Amino acid sequence: MKSYLLSIFLFIFLAVGPVHGAGTDAAQANTETSPSIVVVGETVETTTEAPDKTADPFQEEYENGEYTDNGANAASKEEKLEIADPLEPFNRAMFHFNDKLYFWMLKPVAQGYKEVVPEPVRISFKNFFSNLGFPIRFLSCLFQADFSGAATEAGRFGVNTIWGIGGLMDPAASKELDLQKQDTDLGLTLASYGVGHGFYIVWPLFGPSSPRDTIDLAGRYFLNPLSYITPWYYPLGTKALDVVNATSLSIGDYESLKEAAIDPYVALRDAYIQYRKKQIKRKNNKAGAAGVQLEGNLTKSGAY
Amino acid sequence: MKKQFAILSILIVLVLSVPVYAGIPLTTAQGAVNRVLDVLRDPKLKSPAAKEIKKEKLRIIYKDMFDEIEFSRRTLARNWNKFTPAQRAEFVDLFEQVLEKAYIDKILAYSNEKVNFYKETMISENQAEIQSRIITPSKEIPINYRMIRKGSKWKTYDVVVENVSLVQNYRTQFNDILASNTPEQLLEILRKKVKTH
Repeated sequence: MKSYLLSIFLFIFLAVGPVHGAGTDAAQANTETSPSIVVVGETVETTTEAPDKTADPFQEEYENGEYTDNGANAASKEEKLEIADPLEPFNRAMFHFNDKLYFWMLKPVAQGYKEVVPEPVRISFKNFFSNLGFPIRFLSCLFQADFSGAATEAGRFGVNTIWGIGGLMDPAASKELDLQKQDTDLGLTLASYGVGHGFYIVWPLFGPSSPRDTIDLAGRYFLNPLSYITPWYYPLGTKALDVVNATSLSIGDYESLKEAAIDPYVALRDAYIQYRKKQIKRKNNKAGAAGVQLEGNLTKSGAY
Repeated sequence: MKKQFAILSILIVLVLSVPVYAGIPLTTAQGAVNRVLDVLRDPKLKSPAAKEIKKEKLRIIYKDMFDEIEFSRRTLARNWNKFTPAQRAEFVDLFEQVLEKAYIDKILAYSNEKVNFYKETMISENQAEIQSRIITPSKEIPINYRMIRKGSKWKTYDVVVENVSLVQNYRTQFNDILASNTPEQLLEILRKKVKTH
């Protein structure tokens, strides 16, 4: 009788216990499946790296936990979250140039502009310029074989251009239509093909970038309809408005990042890398959910 | 016999009840943020003179919400071991002051933006990630809180703003500094930073 009850309790215990660990199990399952994708697609060497670079958003969390607990692994894993910075002296100089440019020119102009132009108008302008970014997002989705994303973008462009008064408003993102802006660009497209960042580079005016994302910057120029307006100084003016308008909506962001940083240059570099990495991960997860195994490519190249 | 059985079943009940945390991290984070919002909205504290009172109240909430040592330890990562206990204590204290100086004005400038908590993900039995969003007229800012269970309480050890982890960001900076400096020199940099602003 006693042993019977005991075994019932044991059974309940065993059955209930693992439920709360489900998240961990799922994470592990994820870690285990991803290498197999790699093996199918690519060389053996990559398999060892695979668990570090899964699309699982919490993988990094485990790594973080390990940093503090065992120092031996930490060194190799930390490297991965960093980016090579062979041009550091040049980059630091450009960082200071951009910093001064912001505080001496852009910020005062944006503040004046903010005084004159009410916020709803500035938000409309932001929507307008964002709407013009349609070609690059649409093509990026196509290049990534993300057809639903491309369709969403096309739908957004149509709806917002016609019913949103040339893109000044964003009715497509409303609850009824729910066509959300696709968070993608040519840099992420290249990443999805396995192209890595390369190294860190800070461009004057454009800020943090890498060779891969520089292609995106170039693409942005050529795919922006504004670039084709003549005479040549018209696009310059409208693009300046775009920058000033965007700045006026985010005054204080850069300041607080700089204020909070011990070494603002390193802080900005890290923020850039983290931000891009998360974007790629999200894209990656989306592709994985759609049954496209881009994940393997990414895992292989260590592109983040 | 019966007694043994009773003890056994009590033990089992106790063991079973331990891992049930679902929902607790989220309510903990949300509760702390709501208390912050209450302080910020308090009409009695609206005058500029009450700024210090507000700061003091926020400090108490912060202490309750965050695990400062866990936070510091994670930002130093393997470098933590290079610090003596006294240096660690000073580091924790200075780091906290740096953060306060950097963010207090942003927090005090709060003007009725909406804060939504919408998701809790258990990373492991003792860790959770809470997702929230601050909604302003021009944009939505995603803020995630990473929490760890310490005894019976859930404490925040990392805040992820717009996909950028604070711990990770500082870790990169401290790593960079400690690659060519001693812990004492890093502390000196922090002391200066706290003083100058």
